Amino acid sequence: MSDNATASSDFAIEVSDKGLGYNKPQQMGRKLWAPMWVMAIMAFPVAFILGIVRSSAIASGEAESTIVALGHTTTGVMFIGFTAVFAAISFAIARILGEFRKGGGEIQELVGSDVRTLKMPPTVKIFILGMAMATMTLLIASIIHLVVAGQVSSGALSLVDAETAAINLEAVRRLGVAVYLVAITFGLATITRVLRFQAIRIRELTP
Amino acid sequence: MTITADAKLRPRADADYRAPSQQKSRGIALALVGLAITMIAFFGNLAAVGQSGADQASTLAWTFGVTTTGFALIKTAIAVVLWGVILKLWLRADSIKASLPALVGKPGADPTNLGDHDTPHGKVTVTAKAPDQLPIHKMAKKMFRPMVAMGLMLVLVGLIVSFVEAGSVPNTAASAWKQGLQFLGEGMLLGGIAFLLGTILWAIRTAGGEVQESLGVKVYTPKMPGTAKAFVVLMMLGLMASIVQFIGYVSVAGNSDVRIAFAWLGPLREFGLGLILAGVALALVAIGNVLAFQFYRIQELIRSGERS
Repeated sequence: MSDNATASSDFAIEVSDKGLGYNKPQQMGRKLWAPMWVMAIMAFPVAFILGIVRSSAIASGEAESTIVALGHTTTGVMFIGFTAVFAAISFAIARILGEFRKGGGEIQELVGSDVRTLKMPPTVKIFILGMAMATMTLLIASIIHLVVAGQVSSGALSLVDAETAAINLEAVRRLGVAVYLVAITFGLATITRVLRFQAIRIRELTP
Repeated sequence: MTITADAKLRPRADADYRAPSQQKSRGIALALVGLAITMIAFFGNLAAVGQSGADQASTLAWTFGVTTTGFALIKTAIAVVLWGVILKLWLRADSIKASLPALVGKPGADPTNLGDHDTPHGKVTVTAKAPDQLPIHKMAKKMFRPMVAMGLMLVLVGLIVSFVEAGSVPNTAASAWKQGLQFLGEGMLLGGIAFLLGTILWAIRTAGGEVQESLGVKVYTPKMPGTAKAFVVLMMLGLMASIVQFIGYVSVAGNSDVRIAFAWLGPLREFGLGLILAGVALALVAIGNVLAFQFYRIQELIRSGERS
């Protein structure tokens, strides 16, 4: 059990001659954090402006269908932003884990030792699974918001049904956010494990 | 290891580097509690669809308060885990400090002049001694505790207001106070997390300097990257938006018709949180960059030492 570990061999590890470098999720994290971040930083102000437009529409007495459609659009765009920013955060965490894996392997290789690399711990698996589930949940909810907005505008959906959709989607979105935050907690918890492993391993490298 | 005013941010001298992080276990447990609370509100929200009139308004009022409280608990859990990361960073630095002299041997001569230089991992400042902490790091270390504590308190007060609203619908004043308080609290909690990330950057920078100085070599310290500067700006803008939305909600709390104000205050409060989260992402990127530089520097020292 790694909770009682006193040596690197007490952890679940892979042993190799050379550093293993980044794994697939870490490579993905390195590539995708920036586009996700850009998407988020564009979506937030757009959604805020849509909120102001909706407020003006209410003040000027626009049709209720227009106001409801704007409400769904605002929320849809805002939560595309939240999905993107949570993804950027998750990819940035994967990137940090990648630096530990790559750098730790390179140093062990450099000093002529066998290279011991932590196997993917359960916390990372929960992190990835939670992130995937939450991304899908938030994205699907956001898309449905935009679809509902279009249907209300065109008259294909009644105002009552649009309100029911808003309540249901709100519940789903909130759950998606909570799952994302928990996944991020697991991702960060993995960093403490990696730091502990490296603190033990580097002391084993001394002649 | 020196025990300073940062005592709770640095492990005790006799701390065991092999021990698992207590903060990690506590943080995960708290996050799961937060998720369970959010699940209760989730089912409440779904039940609201089958209700109408005052019953529905009442359910939606308390589910809002309970959900936001669940989020706040998970964010507090993240803060607890990050505190564990800081402590583990120091223990790892102690291990590097203890091992590096044997891995390097006598350090190789370094002809680099003191001052700013480029490296494959960005610009660094070369000094003879470990550099002082930056003002932003001092601020981050001081601010994360009050921000997390105040944030959590505001969310809990908002939760009580949500129960008051649920028992007296329609109550626009309570609704306004609930939303303003809880989202100011959420903003402060995220601000606390951002300050904790700033504290992690402080720990990496300070430990890196101490390790190099203890080895008797010139100290290479990465200059503050653009991501870190943008992180500070976004965090401040997000916090300001959170304060403005609170003022906005409070100022309309006594009005009979709040629909116009709520239409833009809702997106504003989420805009504020979004900006802080965007800053948090950049802080994590900056941490990754600084770690990459440290691994590069350790390898340079080992390569240039007499043992290689």
